[in-house]
Amino acid sequence: MKPLAILLGLIGLAQACVCQAQSLAIVHAKAWTGTGASAVEDATIVVRNGKIVSIAPGAAAPAGLDVVDAAGKVVTPGFFSGATQIGLMEVSSAEDTADESVTSGKLGAAFDVAPALNSNSLLVEQARSDGILWALSYPSGSANAPFLGQAALLRLQEGQILDRAKAAVFARIGGGAASNAGGSRAAEWTLLRRALDEAKMLKAERLPPAEDRLFSRIDLEALQPIIGGLTPLAIQTDRSSDIREALKLKRDYQLKLVLVGAVEAWTVADEIARDRVPVILDPAADLPISYDAIGARLDNAAILDRAGVALGITTTANMIDTNYNVGESSRMAAGIAVANGLPYASAIRALTEGPAAIWGASDKAGSIAPGRLADLIVWDGDPLEPSSAPIVTIVGGRTVSTLTREQQLARRYSPSTDKTWPPAYH
Amino acid sequence: MIKRIRYRSTPLLLLLMLAAAPPGRGDRDRRHDDRPAPVPTSAYDSRYRPLPRIDTLIVNANILDGAGGRIDGGWVLVRDGKIVASGPGAPTQGAPVTIDAKGRWLTPGLIDIHSHDGTFVAPLTANDSEYSDVSEVSSPNSAGTWVEHSINVQDPSFKRALESGVTTLQILPGSIPLIGGRSVVLKNVPANDVTGMKFPGAAQGVKMSCGDNARAFFGSKGGAPNSRMGAMKMFREIFSRARAGRSEGKPPPPDNMDAQTIDGILSGDLRVHIHCYRADDMTNMLNLAKEFGFHITAFHHATEAYKIPARLNEDGTCVAVWADWWGFKSEAGDAIRANAAFVDASGGCVALHSDSPYMGQHLNIEAAKAMASGKRAGVAIAPERALRWVTSNPARILGLDDRIGSIAVGKNADLVVWSGNPFSVYSHAEQVFIDGALVFDRSNPARQPKSDFEVGRQPR
Repeated sequence: MKPLAILLGLIGLAQACVCQAQSLAIVHAKAWTGTGASAVEDATIVVRNGKIVSIAPGAAAPAGLDVVDAAGKVVTPGFFSGATQIGLMEVSSAEDTADESVTSGKLGAAFDVAPALNSNSLLVEQARSDGILWALSYPSGSANAPFLGQAALLRLQEGQILDRAKAAVFARIGGGAASNAGGSRAAEWTLLRRALDEAKMLKAERLPPAEDRLFSRIDLEALQPIIGGLTPLAIQTDRSSDIREALKLKRDYQLKLVLVGAVEAWTVADEIARDRVPVILDPAADLPISYDAIGARLDNAAILDRAGVALGITTTANMIDTNYNVGESSRMAAGIAVANGLPYASAIRALTEGPAAIWGASDKAGSIAPGRLADLIVWDGDPLEPSSAPIVTIVGGRTVSTLTREQQLARRYSPSTDKTWPPAYH
Repeated sequence: MIKRIRYRSTPLLLLLMLAAAPPGRGDRDRRHDDRPAPVPTSAYDSRYRPLPRIDTLIVNANILDGAGGRIDGGWVLVRDGKIVASGPGAPTQGAPVTIDAKGRWLTPGLIDIHSHDGTFVAPLTANDSEYSDVSEVSSPNSAGTWVEHSINVQDPSFKRALESGVTTLQILPGSIPLIGGRSVVLKNVPANDVTGMKFPGAAQGVKMSCGDNARAFFGSKGGAPNSRMGAMKMFREIFSRARAGRSEGKPPPPDNMDAQTIDGILSGDLRVHIHCYRADDMTNMLNLAKEFGFHITAFHHATEAYKIPARLNEDGTCVAVWADWWGFKSEAGDAIRANAAFVDASGGCVALHSDSPYMGQHLNIEAAKAMASGKRAGVAIAPERALRWVTSNPARILGLDDRIGSIAVGKNADLVVWSGNPFSVYSHAEQVFIDGALVFDRSNPARQPKSDFEVGRQPR
């Protein structure tokens, strides 16, 4: 045992050395802390060993730290996509490059996307370059309705992006998904309730034999943290009636429920608030694009916020935005919400502490506060304008490169690049 | 594709399929000959009439004129639906109605050069994944179809676009067929049928498609084409037949609608819009046009236009692009965000398009993003120039730049008063005029049209 202890000590020392590089101070920042509070003007943010130590207006930077002078620019926590599939796909139209769903086999709730995560994906690189440093990547389909599978919590560090697997179980309910349950959303709800009942039977060690069950043991094992109220059950659904049904389910089973999509949530805002259910939504989803979304409107986020509902942002209206441009489109969606009545600080919170709290990561991510990981962005303008971009991106107290393949291609073909030799030489 | 259809929500999937699926320069787009059009088409002519209007003077406006100009604190006088005067400072003439813009921004109405509104109709249902009105996919040559015959004017997307400052749209057939059929140009006014929206006198376009879509769709059914070279062979056979008929002085058979459209391409009556992503594909199509003597007005999507700006300029072909869509299919893998800015800086003609009823509500933000991306990549383009991407450049592609797309004397009074900087996500189109009629007014519920579909459906 002793050699191991010594070894651990050495490792600790080695980390401490690295940690020196994970300390810095940002000065003269207009800091939106992510908590829903107003900006801290002329903020000094001190980071040591990869974590935020303090934030205070007008404070001097401690001696000996590298200093990033924000020169009055906006600093935010790294943004948090409330629901995306980055890390799980490359070319979505090519199945062999896409791991976000399964259509056959035995897995339902047990379909856990975490082992498929690819930190080298260009979609991850692009998201990081556009200001996303945290995300929940969720499965988009399993073989067992109404479950989609288990989502993974991501921190977009270079090299390793999985923060926590099995951060939530996702289910989808609605007209578009009903065919997987035989053709009726009523069947989807019955299946979901039955799955929770069988999961409880498993917990009580009274699981009936396989022929008397609808769900397999592996799926029921995946639901154990759900029935315990430890892990969120995320229900992706849009229609008012389904949202009400979800709230009823939460009360009946004492679940930690998260609504995702929730286009008609504004119609039941008070009930959602009363049940303390958070909502991950796309504020730009304003079209009655399906019969489940007849009530789509641009002030869904504003109405929910006024009712006291905690919000996170996903971008599903233009489907490509969910993944390929998740950073830009999340900020644009938040900006559209502000343009339609959501207070600015609430919009920032919906991109930071909001989803961090919803997915159980607010002790380390989503706010500029002592003890949180120093995952921070200095912006070249208002981050809710999609035309703005990060100028300094800090992960764990270290400045990281945000150079993308897309930017490297642009350099090759820039009008100012000498074309005597083909771009392949540049 | 089957996998996605079963397990993703159908409407969202279909949105992506549009991009995965579907859809010039003025002086080169004249008719090449004086033969009469092969089939009289007046039966389908526009019955558009301007909505009630009052001569109006707009003062104290920051004007981005859509042609690259800018007047801070200017005025515009509208009479009988036309712009009759404008300038800086105090107006020299009056009108029955004066609108004080109070320093807000005034632009031409936005033009969406690539829309599927009215054919990809909200709400979508499971039926739309089986068959839809976006394009006729029973054959790779659907040249004889006219997308106007698919349009449902009650698509709520038209109204959302209007609320976002879009006054003119080109509706294109989808990009599954090699030749998808004829497009239609619409004024974004509420009407009870499509003839009430058709832009009077606008030339029809024709939609063609290259690259992945046709080969994937027809190839997966065991049909042809199933390769790019197979597609080119089909194109060359189709155009060879049409050329042979023309060289013999024979008009196309009156009962062959496909042949009539091909003849219309060769005669220059139809403006040619081609869905292409890769530089290789665009070059193939430019070469095809050279072989058969027609002109390609614009490539749509054109994610690799930045790789071949000189060739595009040489052939006088415009591009209609997104600001930032990339990667969702292999042929979109090399999309760059500076595409629009690079093409513009190379002297090319570029427009931004939507291809999506959601993005069709944010064309101004597309311009903002593309402008910012250009600047980051070393090509700074001023806002007044970038606005051309959604106004005068698409007008030119439609061959309507003598009527719309800019604030200039004699142009149609298609105007938008914005609540703030039109390149800001926080700005709304406050007032929208089409031919001088105030067709949308954010502060007046009586001037906020709603589609019949939305009547009596608001959930409670």
